[in-house]
Amino acid sequence: MNFRYMVPILYVLATPLMGGLMMGLDRKITARMQGRVGPPLVQPFYDVIKLWGKEPFISSRMQPILATGYLVFVLTGLTLLALKADLLHILFTLTLADICLIVSAYNSESPYSNLGGRRELLAMLSYEPIMVLTAMSIQIVTGSFLVSGIFSYGTPLLLVMPAAFIVQILVLIIDMKKSPYDVSGSGHAHQELVRGVYTEFSGYTMALVELGHWIKTVFILSLICLFWAHNLLFGAVLALALWFLAILADNIYPRLTWKSMLRTTWLTGFTLILANFVVLIVLEVI
Amino acid sequence: MKARLKSLWVLHYDGGSCNGCDIEILAALTPKFDVERFGIVNIGDPKQADVLLVTGPANHRNQRVLRNLYDQMPEPKMVIAVGTCACTGGVFHNCPNVLGGIDKVIPVDVYVPGCAARPEQIIDGVVLAMEKLAGKAPEEEE
Amino acid sequence: MNTETLIAVNIGLPIVSALAAFLFNHRRAREGIVSVTALTLIVSSLLLFLNGGMELSLGHSFEVIVVVLDFVLLLYFLYQGFKALSWQVIVLSLGQLAPAAYFEFVLETPPVEAILVIDRLSILMTLIINVIGSIVLVYALGYMEEHESHQGGESRQNLFFFYLVLLLGAMNGLVYSNSLYWLYFFWEVTTLCCYELIRYEGTEEATENGLRALWMGLVGGVAMIAAMYVANYGYGTIAIDELLAAIPSRYLYLTFALMAIAAFTKSAQLPFQSWLIGAMVAPTPVSALLHSSTMVNAGVYLVLRVAPAIQGTYLTYGIAFIGIFSFMVTAIIALSQKLSKKILAYSTIGNLGLIIFCAAMNTPLSYSAATILLLFHSMSKGLLFMCAGVIENRLHTRQIEDWKGLISRLPVTAAITMVGMVSMFLPLFGVLLGKWAAIGITATAPLFLSIVMIAMMVIGSSATTLFWAKWLGHFAITPMSDSEPAKENLPATYKLSLYSMLGLVIAASLGSGLVLNRLVAPIVAMNYGKVWDTSILVLSSQIGSFMILPLWAALAAVFIVGGLIFRSKGGVVKPPYMSGENVEGEPEVFRSTADGVVKYQIAGMFFDPDITESRWVPYSTLAGVFLNMILLALVIL
Repeated sequence: MNFRYMVPILYVLATPLMGGLMMGLDRKITARMQGRVGPPLVQPFYDVIKLWGKEPFISSRMQPILATGYLVFVLTGLTLLALKADLLHILFTLTLADICLIVSAYNSESPYSNLGGRRELLAMLSYEPIMVLTAMSIQIVTGSFLVSGIFSYGTPLLLVMPAAFIVQILVLIIDMKKSPYDVSGSGHAHQELVRGVYTEFSGYTMALVELGHWIKTVFILSLICLFWAHNLLFGAVLALALWFLAILADNIYPRLTWKSMLRTTWLTGFTLILANFVVLIVLEVI
Repeated sequence: MKARLKSLWVLHYDGGSCNGCDIEILAALTPKFDVERFGIVNIGDPKQADVLLVTGPANHRNQRVLRNLYDQMPEPKMVIAVGTCACTGGVFHNCPNVLGGIDKVIPVDVYVPGCAARPEQIIDGVVLAMEKLAGKAPEEEE
Repeated sequence: MNTETLIAVNIGLPIVSALAAFLFNHRRAREGIVSVTALTLIVSSLLLFLNGGMELSLGHSFEVIVVVLDFVLLLYFLYQGFKALSWQVIVLSLGQLAPAAYFEFVLETPPVEAILVIDRLSILMTLIINVIGSIVLVYALGYMEEHESHQGGESRQNLFFFYLVLLLGAMNGLVYSNSLYWLYFFWEVTTLCCYELIRYEGTEEATENGLRALWMGLVGGVAMIAAMYVANYGYGTIAIDELLAAIPSRYLYLTFALMAIAAFTKSAQLPFQSWLIGAMVAPTPVSALLHSSTMVNAGVYLVLRVAPAIQGTYLTYGIAFIGIFSFMVTAIIALSQKLSKKILAYSTIGNLGLIIFCAAMNTPLSYSAATILLLFHSMSKGLLFMCAGVIENRLHTRQIEDWKGLISRLPVTAAITMVGMVSMFLPLFGVLLGKWAAIGITATAPLFLSIVMIAMMVIGSSATTLFWAKWLGHFAITPMSDSEPAKENLPATYKLSLYSMLGLVIAASLGSGLVLNRLVAPIVAMNYGKVWDTSILVLSSQIGSFMILPLWAALAAVFIVGGLIFRSKGGVVKPPYMSGENVEGEPEVFRSTADGVVKYQIAGMFFDPDITESRWVPYSTLAGVFLNMILLALVIL
């Protein structure tokens, strides 16, 4: 009993560390792609510690609670994933986390923050259908939404639902706030609507949100690992491959409009995944 | 403490300069000088910034803005006046609308003279600011 | 207390109270009558739940009363049609009068033995009707006082409460009826209440919308009568329990299809949605009671009743298709709406469509999903309409763009409303539990149909999340100020009704495991066998597990951790970032050219001109008509 929970708990505890290092690696790779040296790998940790030590400014009394809500619910989602729980439920939990962030952005009556919150909603609208369709794919193929079902299913998911895997790159790009879809606030060196949805966060609330964002990215990468659940190491390679592609895309593409984001994600997501279903039906896999 | 020195986020404000110093500041972010390797990022939001980089002189119109931006930055913060105009008013110091250097409005920690100040000088100034911050820190810890 | 008495109370007491409220047009008398009725109904429904079901035969005199009242009703509708010169009403009333007369007086129809049948489904419906309905009745007391004091003039509240209370009795009668004729009678009584309450204000708009609700309701009536004819012709009986157990044939499916169409008119599915949208002109208690949590449930109830008998047929998937199509379309249209009650109305239609979809998909899990959604949606939507009414009475506007800064102006109401909104689309509450189950069963349709349904479900679900989230966000906008939030002064009726409904929503969600095991599972077991026997902590079924209590634990952690962090770090409230152009001491303005002070304005996101009612409604209605015709064609051919 105890041992069964140890691995997931260790995983969850290691996530902030992993997330920060991945963020650092992200910035390093970006810098090298741009012909620069780039910050040290542990830079994100310096950033968060510095933020935590700043004089606390808040935009309203709701903000610290909502920022904590974002972090806690993202952590909850990740924990549930590590415990191999129901994927659709986990996605809804992440929606709850996102809503905390968005309501906080709207809460301070700030033009940039408000617009950023709206763009974040649109970003959520863009990737949520893909995630739900992915969860539904898993349900149709393995019989339930449970992540444990993916592990007990005979074939790796990548071979059965390649479309769902391919569109994860879009989800990753939007979540990591990389061009072309960083419409609601961008990574550090870029600015969109000043800091977009993060504009009114400062000091410790920003630190909380930053941590939450790291964990969310790790969550999505963990989700992608599940496409080769039988050998999680290979799954991690797949996830990192997509992650690298996202960084590459960031350095190639300019920022596009939210309408284009919505259009591309919906068209690609729906068409590819539904076409995958049709193929599976025809091949009598389902 | 070490984190503060390793992660300086910059807010860049142009108070009416000719943009020469601004271009040099942006040049400092480019691959040739690459200040991001020191953890310096040009964040546009005063609420998340540690360093206020100001170019251009203080005048009647922008003194309010400057004051407002300075107030919206949480402690510990540093102000660096980049370019002669920001230090003393430069060639514009006699103009009727110009108050002088920005130290007429907000407290300045580091002066980086030059017209335009070169990226190397700007980086020097930032390093001076870091040292000042490190020296400042023990008194500031409340 | 024996069940017969409880049934008599549930149907009879509202009739008596309604008459009493009509006769005694004094505030105190009315408050007394309504409060006593409300309390009695709540207690009666709980006792009924504890008692269990039974079958009741009633004496011949009751049947005579029903027939007489039915014809009086139909003649009244005809009269209203003539008075308003509405050809639809006239034609449809005649279309019911003549066949009904022929049916009752000419045709040989064997009498129905068990006129009233109370089973687990009826008991659940009674709970919803009596408990939620009573809370709204109490709310209505406070609301109408405020409302009339704004309007001035003589009090016509006796008429209002007559129909409002009568509705509860009619609804109770509806869910107990085992004879199609009795069902049809109570159905028409609800149409009557709906018509009278919508046109209550007496304005031109109100009358017009009332008439539309009336004729669409009458379409349902005609469909019911047609169903009676077909049932009688094919099977010689109009007893619902006999029909449900009968050997299937084309006549049976036609009967059920006609009943489904009647259900669509009552639950405002496409193409009959416009009456519900138009019904928002009525006073808010009407919207809270009839058009979200009680009367529209009659249609859904009918589908739930009929569904088990049509498992695996084309008919059932046709009904499901109409349900989910309505869900998707109304979710999209709701994105463009700026009036609070219209958003709530579209959301209601969408959720009802989802319930119909789940019921008609006809698997044990989907039937559970339908029941869960029914229960939780009624509570949350009732709560939201009540809150919307309170806010509207104080702000005198329904434009959600103007509903800003409510957290400081109306802190209590705003907080309750926000919880209500969250309960409609986020995972701490039961509505999302239903939606989760609904998503889980979408793929059970025949394979290629399921792909279309999957697409519609995902589109609808995403649009739903979006319009709730953007409303919630806009609601949360608060100008920065150091002052304490205003002290809100809610009258006792508001406090009682809002808090009790809020308490119900939270308690039911926390206890959803109990709700599943005690309320939902017995209903599903009636026709589908045992599905749920879940632990209370983690609700698990074959398709996965939903963890409400762990999430509430996480929520508690948020408050505890967040509170601790805030306590230790503190925080100075600072004005928002406006490029340095903030004006000292004034939160909503900035300095612009020539040092002028400008108020900054943020508009919401409403997707016009892409999603406008004028563009979408006609095509959707047309599509709805088309789909319903296909439904009938499916059974006839």
